[in-house]
Amino acid sequence: MISLAARVGRSLLSLAGVVLLGGLAAAALVRYSPGFDVDENAWNPRIDAATLAAMHARRERENRLPVFYARYLLAAARGDFGQSESFHAPVTELLRDRAPVSARLLAGGTLGGLFFGGILAWLAVWPRRAGLSLFASGLSGLLLAIPPAVLALAFFFAEAPLPLTMAIALLPRVFGTMRTLLEDLLSSPALLAARARGVRPGSLVFRYILGAAAPQWFALAGVALMQAFGLLIPVEALCDVPGIGQLAWKAALARDLPLVAGLALIVTFLVAFVQTMGELADGGKA
Amino acid sequence: MIQRLALAVLLAVAAIALLAPAIAPAPYDYQDREKTNAPPDRHSPMGTDELGRDRFSRLLYGTRVSVLLVPAAALLSVVLALLLSLPAVWRVPLAAPAVSGFTTISLSLPWLFLYIILRAELPLNTSPSTSVILTFGLMGVSGWAVPARVFTAAMQQLRDSGWVLQAQTSGMRTWRIVLVHGWPHLRSLALAQLRILVPVYILSEANLGLLGLGVAPPLPSWGNLIQDLQHPDVVRANPWVLAPLALLILVMICIECLQTSPDISPESSPVSLR
Repeated sequence: MISLAARVGRSLLSLAGVVLLGGLAAAALVRYSPGFDVDENAWNPRIDAATLAAMHARRERENRLPVFYARYLLAAARGDFGQSESFHAPVTELLRDRAPVSARLLAGGTLGGLFFGGILAWLAVWPRRAGLSLFASGLSGLLLAIPPAVLALAFFFAEAPLPLTMAIALLPRVFGTMRTLLEDLLSSPALLAARARGVRPGSLVFRYILGAAAPQWFALAGVALMQAFGLLIPVEALCDVPGIGQLAWKAALARDLPLVAGLALIVTFLVAFVQTMGELADGGKA
Repeated sequence: MIQRLALAVLLAVAAIALLAPAIAPAPYDYQDREKTNAPPDRHSPMGTDELGRDRFSRLLYGTRVSVLLVPAAALLSVVLALLLSLPAVWRVPLAAPAVSGFTTISLSLPWLFLYIILRAELPLNTSPSTSVILTFGLMGVSGWAVPARVFTAAMQQLRDSGWVLQAQTSGMRTWRIVLVHGWPHLRSLALAQLRILVPVYILSEANLGLLGLGVAPPLPSWGNLIQDLQHPDVVRANPWVLAPLALLILVMICIECLQTSPDISPESSPVSLR
């Protein structure tokens, strides 16, 4: 019990560290972005040089990195990530509008990727037929060789459901791990004994494979979700989905650093959170 | 057998890439304004694009850019990871938590997001040569985290192994232990990381090219050559548009066929201490 509490404490501490470091990186990105120090009053002929110098000195004091970082982090904790320069809207508002779209795509894509990856891994391992195993590995290898952006385009033109695009792009990225996990499970003494005693396949799947290995599956789902985050940008940008990935792409093209920094901080937190949960579920084995 | 075939294909692609200026019928940026979107003929085996540039020549030059610079970016990542892992393992004060923290934060951000952040810091309207350096340089710089974690773990194992302790107690200098006895263990690991990173960077460059964040035209690369796939009518009119994608997939499959797991066990030193 104590070790579990220590593990949870350590994981939460690590998560807090990542968020603080991510916040520092995001704040530095905004603070040192080109044009940050530019003051429009500098072109105001009615302000004299001494006043301008005093204003500049005050801005310098207020915007020193530690002060700016503390202010940025406090504002971020309140949900205020600043103002987008290209969309002329608060970053929080933009994220609030687009997050549900990305969340649906991520959930559907991750579940679909795990489902199809699981079926393919099952085909490669369970029937113990070289042909099926080769087919599964070959299909996964072929899908891995195709850039996700090209897959997204192909599915977009075929008018296929977008979560399916994400699922197929994710499939080869989870297949290898699922296959190894299944192979390990199927060669475990408990499962071999159960098979030797004639336990039915359905029971084997639910009690031994899905039940006993639930923590590993949960950790794998976390990894798959992180992979899916990485696929958000090409899928959303090329398939014209108004989600967070497309927002990041547009922000990068417009060099909208407050928006990029806010997005980076949020995505870092989400990914680190999922990573921490996966590690906790897996008992730190991952 | 399959591995040999894959290696032969990769070597052939690399040779064609290197010999691009000699093989290509035209320079990659030569435009024939009277021959735009032309079908394949004797002078242009794959036809021309919307600006009248020979697709075959552009594919050869694009292959040269991708095939030469992707391994360079992977090498940069591996060298950076090795350099950053060393002080973390050899007990330099504060280096271990700093490297570990930055590794964790880098791994907490999906690669494409990280690349986009770095790219957004730099000008987007760059010259083609600058965009090549930016694209592959940023790939190399931002891809250090995974190899660094692997190297740190391997170096920690080496540092705590019996033969390193013996070497230290014998009075051997740290740099000698690292270079003469540690490096042979890490070499296979570094090669494995290179083999992992090369296909990852090929795919990344293709993704970035399609998103318009990769190598800037008129310089061709696999990434910006497959941008034509965004126009299905162009693909239907001239299926040779698919050639860069087919070549990319072929190279990726060949690299996958070559993947083997190296033995990185630190238990036995490949170099005798005596």
